[in-house]
Amino acid sequence: MTEYVLQAEDVAIHYGGVKAVDGVNMTLERGQVRGLIGPNGAGKSTVIDAITGRRRLTRGKVSLRGEDVSELDPTQRRQRGLSRSFQRTSIFAQMPVRKQVELASYKMGVADPGADADDVLRELTLTDLNDVIAADLGYGEQRRLDLALALVGSPSVLLLDEPMAGLSVKESLDLAHHLKALTKRRDVSVLLVEHDMDVVFGISDVITVFELGRVIASGDPAEVRANPRVREAYLGSAA
Amino acid sequence: MIHLFNGLVYGALLIVMCSGLALIYGLRRVVNFAHGSLYMLGAYLGYTIASYSNFWVALVAAPAIMLLLGAALDRFGFRLLQDRDPLTVVLVTFGLLLVIEDVVQTVWGKGNLSLAAPALLSRTVDLLGTPVPAYRIAVIAVGAAVAIGLTLWLRWSRVGLFVRASSTDPTTTAMQGVNTDLLSAGVVGLGTALAGLAGVVAAPFLALSPSMSSDVLIDSFVVVVIGGLGSLAGAFVTALVLGQVQALGAVFLPDVAALLPFALMVAVLLWKPAGLAGSRT
Amino acid sequence: MSLTKIIISVLVALAAGGVFAATVGSGTLLSLLTQATIFAIFALGLGFLLRQNGMVSFGHATFYGTAGYIVGILLQTKAVPAEAAMLIAVLGIALFAFLLGLIVVRVPGIAFGMLTLAIGQMFFLTASRSRGLTGGADGMNIDWPSTLFGVPVSTLLKPDAMFALCWSVLVLIVLALALLLRSRFGAITEAVRDNEERARFIGIRTLVPRAAVFALSAGVTAIGGVLSALNTGFVSPESLHWSVSGVALMMVVVGGTRALWGPALGAIVYFLVKDVLGDYANHWMAIFGIGLIVVIVFAPQGISGALLRLAGKRRVAADRPPPAKRAAALD
Repeated sequence: MTEYVLQAEDVAIHYGGVKAVDGVNMTLERGQVRGLIGPNGAGKSTVIDAITGRRRLTRGKVSLRGEDVSELDPTQRRQRGLSRSFQRTSIFAQMPVRKQVELASYKMGVADPGADADDVLRELTLTDLNDVIAADLGYGEQRRLDLALALVGSPSVLLLDEPMAGLSVKESLDLAHHLKALTKRRDVSVLLVEHDMDVVFGISDVITVFELGRVIASGDPAEVRANPRVREAYLGSAA
Repeated sequence: MIHLFNGLVYGALLIVMCSGLALIYGLRRVVNFAHGSLYMLGAYLGYTIASYSNFWVALVAAPAIMLLLGAALDRFGFRLLQDRDPLTVVLVTFGLLLVIEDVVQTVWGKGNLSLAAPALLSRTVDLLGTPVPAYRIAVIAVGAAVAIGLTLWLRWSRVGLFVRASSTDPTTTAMQGVNTDLLSAGVVGLGTALAGLAGVVAAPFLALSPSMSSDVLIDSFVVVVIGGLGSLAGAFVTALVLGQVQALGAVFLPDVAALLPFALMVAVLLWKPAGLAGSRT
Repeated sequence: MSLTKIIISVLVALAAGGVFAATVGSGTLLSLLTQATIFAIFALGLGFLLRQNGMVSFGHATFYGTAGYIVGILLQTKAVPAEAAMLIAVLGIALFAFLLGLIVVRVPGIAFGMLTLAIGQMFFLTASRSRGLTGGADGMNIDWPSTLFGVPVSTLLKPDAMFALCWSVLVLIVLALALLLRSRFGAITEAVRDNEERARFIGIRTLVPRAAVFALSAGVTAIGGVLSALNTGFVSPESLHWSVSGVALMMVVVGGTRALWGPALGAIVYFLVKDVLGDYANHWMAIFGIGLIVVIVFAPQGISGALLRLAGKRRVAADRPPPAKRAAALD
């Protein structure tokens, strides 16, 4: 039996009468990229919040490399190698680019945080902006910075919450390409929430489809694309 | 039990003061550091007006002037700063405090002044065997009237409804077509008028002095924080309790009585700061 | 600023202070500037808290006055030598503030300000009422010994020496803080200030750094309190009153927190203006009130912000309002 690098078992998040996530089972194998798709409000971001500790579980269990992390806070999960990026860009507005990425690397206990930061920044083409204060960056650059902060320190699992949000077609594809290369090189397993179907079908090894807080389909891209229930719920004619 | 009575008197005064502070906070999310000095200004204005006419005219005129002042403060101060960080506005009210204190000292001097109670209320009344000044009973009546009046107004009147709505969610209320700017000016005006009223009412039994603003301000903060900023009722109850603590405590356990309100304030802020931390962003 | 530049600036500042003390003949002016410098240290501590944590304290006078009281009480009981008493006061207050900070820095927004106000009042009332320990509302005299660190106290108390001492302490504190901020600790506290949530998500435990900043700000202010106790030989509950905290806050805002030394500048400006105006008008309070309002509304970065902008400095950290709103705005 495969040891999953990340596993969510019967995860549920209910609040204020809303069942945002209701009994979700999901796995991630080492080196895999799993795409998470579904209509708005289907619960995808909430699942990410649950897995990373931003939200409390109403029910269920989250395991990282076999270890139950359901009771740990985000800082603890990050220190164990569970990292995430944010849908609404979350960076350190008043710090220069390299300084904050290096800080993130340092906090992960990397032996040479500077080298680690430089590597990630180069892969995300941010090196020229090393000394720029984050608030002065363009939108796309800020999104890449958000990613950089999540990528340093070689996390074992990376959860990406709509990393392409607001980017142009070209920017999205470029970024997807860089992400795939970087994560393969650093042996990072990825859970990717995205609306951009070209990106998702382009880089995912497996795809999970959400609707109304539940998983309605899961499998490799071809299977998912062909699944009639998925087509009906979400893809329409776009795929 | 003169102490219980005096506690009730001070409590009533705090009710008038604190309802003003609470209203201003509720609508504008501003902790008004100038509230104490506005109270003082009201008292001194009352003194001057009374010296040209009588106490009763001052009782109406001084708060009326303060109402206009408060509306202006809202229109030209709070409204223009409403998008700034709340702490910024608080510091502005602190600046205002300094200005008002200086104005009062300049116009009326630094010495103590006294305002006589109106003749009608200058006698003593027999209350359960203890002689008490009739004036103080009147103060309690004013406190009660303000408490009841405000509660009824907020609950039953149309404007009161708008005030409650705007305190909870100003954006949506404005979107419903309520003129929130006019409403704010009115409410801040009212809050300031209440401070002024408290000042005039307090003048005959607490002397007028340049330091009167500071003590009352702190007590008001204590009341409003402990009572819960969203709740006028909480403020009323806390005001009465604080009045008792001060009065009884001063006699029986002065050190504890002085510290206890602050200890409670600290406890409330540690336990539930959300009421103050701006539930409205 | 590069390390070399910082060291040079510090040496220049120290030298300038020395020259100033030696050449200015007027004892009164030097006394005034000594007071200004002491308050500048107070404001520096308060400003540091605002700059690094984004928090406004209305009770910082607690640390200022209590430092004086600790020194006074220790000297009264003759338990330790005066040099140790000074050190104990500062370190003790810093430690107390750290422990207190672990609890109170979690309190957000204006609630934190009110909390510090309440705590400050408790200290004020306690000092006012403890006649036996603190001399009560009348305050207490401080029995300084005849020598301090080997120097006769009578020499130290001369206007030129006292000014030179206080000014040097101010400059060295600015240096120490500047160096600290260039370290990892500085980066961590800036990250926590900018975006506390993301800081957690990159593995930073946010409570301890913020409590540490609170402790440092208290310690710096306490140094001001100790110097004040030396300068005046006296401490009273007035130095614990919230209005003193308010005035210090005014200095911080007027000086601005964009530069580390902004609050110190605000304090010096306050004292100079107060002295100058005092000759011409009795209304310095109103003038300051108006000045405060004007600065807040039209020049929110204060005098130091304006100066730096004139000098054409690229925008650096700590020149924007607290981060919570900005994070939300970065949608």
